[in-house]
Amino acid sequence: MPLLELRGLTKRYGGILAVDQVTMSVEPGEVRAVIGPNGAGKTSLFHLITGVVKATEGDVLFDGQRVTAMPAFGRCQLGMSRTFQITALFPEMSARENTSLAAQARDKQRWRPLGGGSVFAEAQRRGDAALERLGLTHVADRPAGLLSHGDQRLLEVAMALAQQPRLLLMDEPTQGLSVEETAQAVDVLAGLFASSDLTVLLVEHDMEVVFRLARKITVLHRGAVIADGDPEAVKADATVQSAYLGGYV
Amino acid sequence: MRMTIAVAVLLALLPLGLPPYAMTLLTEALIMALFAMSLDLMVGYARLISFGHAAAYGLGAYTCGNILLHTDIPLPFAVLMAGVFSGVVAIGVAWVCTLATGVSFSMLTLAFGQLLYAVAFKWTSVTGASDGLAGIPRTKGPFGTAFFGTKTGFYYLTMACLFGSFLFARAVVRSPFGAVLRGIRENEAKTLSLGYNTRLYKIAVVAMSYMLGGLAGALYAPFAGFANTELLFWLLSGQVLIMVIVGGTGTLVGPILGAVFFLLVQQQLSTYTDSWALVFGAIFILFVLFVPDGIMGLARRRRAH
Amino acid sequence: MDFLAFLVTQCLNALSQAALLFFLGCGLTLIFGIMRIVNFAHGAFFMLGAYVGWSAVYVTGSFWGALVAAPILVGGFGAAFEMGILRRLYGRDGHSFLMVTFGLTLMMGEAIRLIWGVAALQVVMPQSLSGIVFILDEPFPIYRLFLAGAGIVVAVVIWQFLERTRLGLLIRATSQNAEMVHALGTDVRLVRSAVFGIGCGLAGIGGVFAAPMVTASLGMAPNAVIDTFVIVIIGGMGSFLGSMIGALLVAFVQVFGSYYFPDFALAFMYLIMLTILVVRPGGLLGKEA
Repeated sequence: MPLLELRGLTKRYGGILAVDQVTMSVEPGEVRAVIGPNGAGKTSLFHLITGVVKATEGDVLFDGQRVTAMPAFGRCQLGMSRTFQITALFPEMSARENTSLAAQARDKQRWRPLGGGSVFAEAQRRGDAALERLGLTHVADRPAGLLSHGDQRLLEVAMALAQQPRLLLMDEPTQGLSVEETAQAVDVLAGLFASSDLTVLLVEHDMEVVFRLARKITVLHRGAVIADGDPEAVKADATVQSAYLGGYV
Repeated sequence: MRMTIAVAVLLALLPLGLPPYAMTLLTEALIMALFAMSLDLMVGYARLISFGHAAAYGLGAYTCGNILLHTDIPLPFAVLMAGVFSGVVAIGVAWVCTLATGVSFSMLTLAFGQLLYAVAFKWTSVTGASDGLAGIPRTKGPFGTAFFGTKTGFYYLTMACLFGSFLFARAVVRSPFGAVLRGIRENEAKTLSLGYNTRLYKIAVVAMSYMLGGLAGALYAPFAGFANTELLFWLLSGQVLIMVIVGGTGTLVGPILGAVFFLLVQQQLSTYTDSWALVFGAIFILFVLFVPDGIMGLARRRRAH
Repeated sequence: MDFLAFLVTQCLNALSQAALLFFLGCGLTLIFGIMRIVNFAHGAFFMLGAYVGWSAVYVTGSFWGALVAAPILVGGFGAAFEMGILRRLYGRDGHSFLMVTFGLTLMMGEAIRLIWGVAALQVVMPQSLSGIVFILDEPFPIYRLFLAGAGIVVAVVIWQFLERTRLGLLIRATSQNAEMVHALGTDVRLVRSAVFGIGCGLAGIGGVFAAPMVTASLGMAPNAVIDTFVIVIIGGMGSFLGSMIGALLVAFVQVFGSYYFPDFALAFMYLIMLTILVVRPGGLLGKEA
């Protein structure tokens, strides 16, 4: 059974059709990318999956459960963790406090108003493990707002990992990074995906990044899916080439 | 913790050496300090700026006043009951106010405060309308003791409420719950996306804040012997917000200092002029402009040097 | 009373009330839309307008003189406050503005008490407006008709000002992209001072218009600021048309609510605001969700 399944998912803003009857799925252990030119509806689709906006039609299923009407925080509690297109952190907290707060969200006693030493200890243990996996241990005590752009991006991934997600959702993971920073971040992410059985869905417009990270690709054009499959097959697809890749490949 | 105990011991010893009028002033200062500290829970830790915190104070005062006027419930219990009642009402208020965020949230708190103020003028049987509740007694008990009704006894009761509340508030802000509040303060959208139902956390902290603010108001009613609509007026909400900002938000101790500072300033100024709102406003603007982290921030910077 | 006559006079009443609220709401929303500043002192500027209006009538003996003098003085004071204080806060978060203007409200209230005293001051309305007319055989005060008319005139003037004049264009451009306007050689700082001054001046005019009906008193500021925010929250922060709709809605609820359910008029107003906050958190015409 797919971990994430979209069935005829549609989003209309007034008269504009942002997402048009999208049906696709993400199998457990798969790293899938959604690509498409600007305005293809990638971000809208991402919002529908994470629960930031509500679908006009269609369904989102997570592990067989209908989550179409569930608010964002509820979906996260089921095991969907996300990163943002524009890095979202707690800038005045240290990197360690950032990952710790992220891990705490998975604790049954996360809301405890008194005491809670054991909650903190467990959250920090998971948070530190996530920092280490992304090679951020050496900056753990620095305020997140003072880290380099590249490290901030990775810290956001670390926060998601600290939640031990069943599905990792990434919105343009290299957006806003320099060429050099992008290369470094992609190296770290590729290593991470290779060494784990994480299920990942990422939205990205940078082709090089997509072809290095993703094992499966879904192509979006004007809100609708026009191709779906292995990177090689997608590259070869004539519709995709005319619609999107142009002279790129 | 050592500091807290030292201050507690010092305050506990004060009644031995202070003249009665100073005791009265000090008791009032501690009540105000509790009120300011309660607001800091919202403002300082979750960046929920309230322009209507007098609602908590007035609710506590009128509730406690009615309990004392109409029942024999011992004074300390009446005070606690009024505080809890204020906190329970706050759940409804917060449910409404958290529909909005940022400035709209602030305006909703003000609107609710003014609504309560208007209600207090009409609901004569409970509030005494514009006359207010007069002759609020200090009931006996528990166990028939009249101690809490005496000047010194009431001072100790106030002190116990302040320290109990302080320890409670400090435990809350250092708990997992408090960590989530800090997350909300720094980036609410991110906190939500991590899987926290941020609105529930905000409602909870507003309820706690109102409970402690209500406790302060509940102490004021038997302290002054009356409760009137002034206790619900927006100017009081403004004054307490100023105390919190000037003292230093997100510190709990700062607002306590801010309240004591302003009460002393007011005491000194009132011999020269009755227009201290002018001075209040000016000090406040200067602090926001030049010392946004308040007295506590000044102290921290001095220590860092 | 004839129901039709009742309906017509009450609607006219509501229109005149809406005009007053509109002066407040559109000034606040203008300032917010262009400067992203939430001006808590808006009610205090309204109150100042009423008091300055009283003094102007006292000195010049003419209500029309007050209508000219008050907005200029109040607007000038607002612009000066922007230049002296608010300008230092650009770049800080929105709450700083809220708190500084809140401090200003406290100070203005006290200063007005010191200058004009505690007693409410009655502004005499001009002879030509003080009578009544009969509408469908029902008496109706001319002043209220005048007020409704003034509201419509001012709304049209502001709209044309924003649409047609060079300063209006600059103001709209600054709200879209301040850096670009600056790069094109306009002093954005002056535009901001002007906008803040105009917004406060509008509140000042509102104060003068209100004074003959409700007298100038110290209680004006907090009530005005709450009404204003209710309007703007309903209409949507920063929307000119929204503030007009909000003012109309609130005025009709106030007038009809206080006729049918005198004890619950206030609650009705809040109920509308809450409904809108639940259904459309950004307000009817607001951009932010």
